[in-house]
Amino acid sequence: MIKLLHVEDDADIREIAEMALGLSGEFEIVQCETGEAALSKIESYTPDVVLLDMMMPGMTGRQTLEKMRQRPELADIPAIFMTARAQHSEIEELLQIGAADVISKPFDPMALPDQIKVAMQKPR
Amino acid sequence: MQATTHKNRKALCVAGACGLATGWYAASSMLLTGLAASVIPAAGAIAIAGVLPTMLAKGRNSKENDHKLLTMSQRLEALNHHAGINIVNENNALTEVNDHLLTLTGYSREELIGQPVKVLYDDNAKDVADEVRSFLVQGKTWQGETQLRRKDGSILFTQSTIMPLFKANGEWAGSISARTDVTEANKLLSERDTAQTLNELRDDIWIVDSETEQFSYMNRAAKGRLSIESDEYKLKGLADFNQDKEIQEVLRACRALRKNGETNTQYRSSLIGVPMHVSINFLPGSNGEGRYLILFNDITDHLQQEQIKSAFISNVSHELRSPLTSIKGAMGLLLSGSAGEIPDKAMTLLDIAHRNADRLILIINDILDLDKISNGQLEFDVQMVDLAELVREADNANAMLQQRFGVSTKLQGLEDAMMVQTDPNRFIQVLTNLLSNAYKFSSPGSEITISVQNEDDYLRIAVKDQGTGIPVNEQHKIFDRFADMTNSDRMTKGGSGLGLNICKAIVESLGGKIGFDTEVGVGTTFYFNLPKTLPDTVAVEEDTVRQIA
Repeated sequence: MIKLLHVEDDADIREIAEMALGLSGEFEIVQCETGEAALSKIESYTPDVVLLDMMMPGMTGRQTLEKMRQRPELADIPAIFMTARAQHSEIEELLQIGAADVISKPFDPMALPDQIKVAMQKPR
Repeated sequence: MQATTHKNRKALCVAGACGLATGWYAASSMLLTGLAASVIPAAGAIAIAGVLPTMLAKGRNSKENDHKLLTMSQRLEALNHHAGINIVNENNALTEVNDHLLTLTGYSREELIGQPVKVLYDDNAKDVADEVRSFLVQGKTWQGETQLRRKDGSILFTQSTIMPLFKANGEWAGSISARTDVTEANKLLSERDTAQTLNELRDDIWIVDSETEQFSYMNRAAKGRLSIESDEYKLKGLADFNQDKEIQEVLRACRALRKNGETNTQYRSSLIGVPMHVSINFLPGSNGEGRYLILFNDITDHLQQEQIKSAFISNVSHELRSPLTSIKGAMGLLLSGSAGEIPDKAMTLLDIAHRNADRLILIINDILDLDKISNGQLEFDVQMVDLAELVREADNANAMLQQRFGVSTKLQGLEDAMMVQTDPNRFIQVLTNLLSNAYKFSSPGSEITISVQNEDDYLRIAVKDQGTGIPVNEQHKIFDRFADMTNSDRMTKGGSGLGLNICKAIVESLGGKIGFDTEVGVGTTFYFNLPKTLPDTVAVEEDTVRQIA
């Protein structure tokens, strides 16, 4: 099972992602509503992959990733961003700070499990 | 204009003025033509020479009268030299004209006598002639500016006093007009007003001699911006500001304008750090030389408003994406059967909702793209790519849509790899747009051909459908924004009405051209040419990412 930490402020999107990933039977999903909650969660839970919403109240997805990267034990965990602002320059920027992939919203729920697995295989 | 009423004209005749007036008129008429007058002017006519009050007050003594008549004759002669004078009869036909009027208008006496007075008026002033006549028949004197036309067609502005003439029995006999040429005065006033207006304008204005490239004029705003006192600018030329990149840019633009034989160029730049819209007009002189009229319009406020608008569009569009993610995601899961079996009718309805969610996403994407195009912020990721591969990718990506519209595609000219320097995602965006239009306007069972032609410097990508074709009256606006929204048939086909406009902007930004051939009832071929390598005019920033200028 792939341990996935999903950080997303929109409850509906959390539910859809949980259902889509749950259907594949390959993911163990833990969800957080904010970046702050995610940073707190990873004190006790080390995921295999993090799925991060970009625009969240409080800490953005980017800030959350930067905080995570400051901890050596979390530095190599692949992080995938989900964003509604998928301009080329923004995607480039996110990839440069270490994102494994950037998934544009709206996303195809049925394709999501494969997208995550492919991103996890990418060399970093 | 002023009018003086002469309701008491008969009373004046009774009082003995008629005889005097007859004498004045005879004198004035002889001065004009050398012929004796046969009609009596009203008191107003006498007033033109400024003699009536004198005559009425002192006209009792015949010797004095003779003396005054002589003086009056001299005054009339002075008037005759100063003003153009004409007399018309009761039918408004010219009966007498003085030499000065002939000089002013360029006509000969023979050409004017017997002609309607309107022959002297400019076409734009014919109404004035009617207005004058309506005053005169009421016994009123008309004063005002009249726009005449010289024989050579040029305009002659005159300040005119036109007075009615009456026969001894009080019947309407015509009128006499005295006209002073004010053309030059008007021109000077107009030039002065123009100069004052230019000076007060908020925009910076420079006028530069094209030969010497020296300044010949700067308005107040321009002098203030460059901290130039009074007329100091006349000692300077554009080249004197060689430390200033912005002014050197103006100099280069001026020289290019003249070199290319063009008359106008416009661009966005800045002046002393202030963002400006610059407009340069070359005003040719008589011998090939000329002047550059250079206008700088401060666009600081405009740019701020654009930024606010752009931020608003961007925020709204992105905010719409979050609920759409849930809507589309939920429906996608339902359609996949993840939430259990769905009855057929419900599936049909879900499919409609899902497709329209997709449509809404496309519209939002188009609005975002359009906003970026408007602000020059549309980004490109230019790479060396195999166009044949991209065409196949776009065709595959649209397989579902083909299925829905019941059409098929045929690929031509994709046997060999064709390398081209372009943005692969934007290429697929353009081709997808053309394909989706082709599907929408084709009948089920039709075949759509996607072809690539390898020319010397460019590749031509064409999408040929067997659809309804584009009527002639719609062809000119096909690349306009919201062009297809005016056609109800097209509205039912969906789309934001922005797609082709965006395609055009993308293709042109990639150094290419887009066009179409169409025949109603036969079909349409949309094509776009892409250069194999990006031309120098297309700026590339940071290796691969660039923006539309």
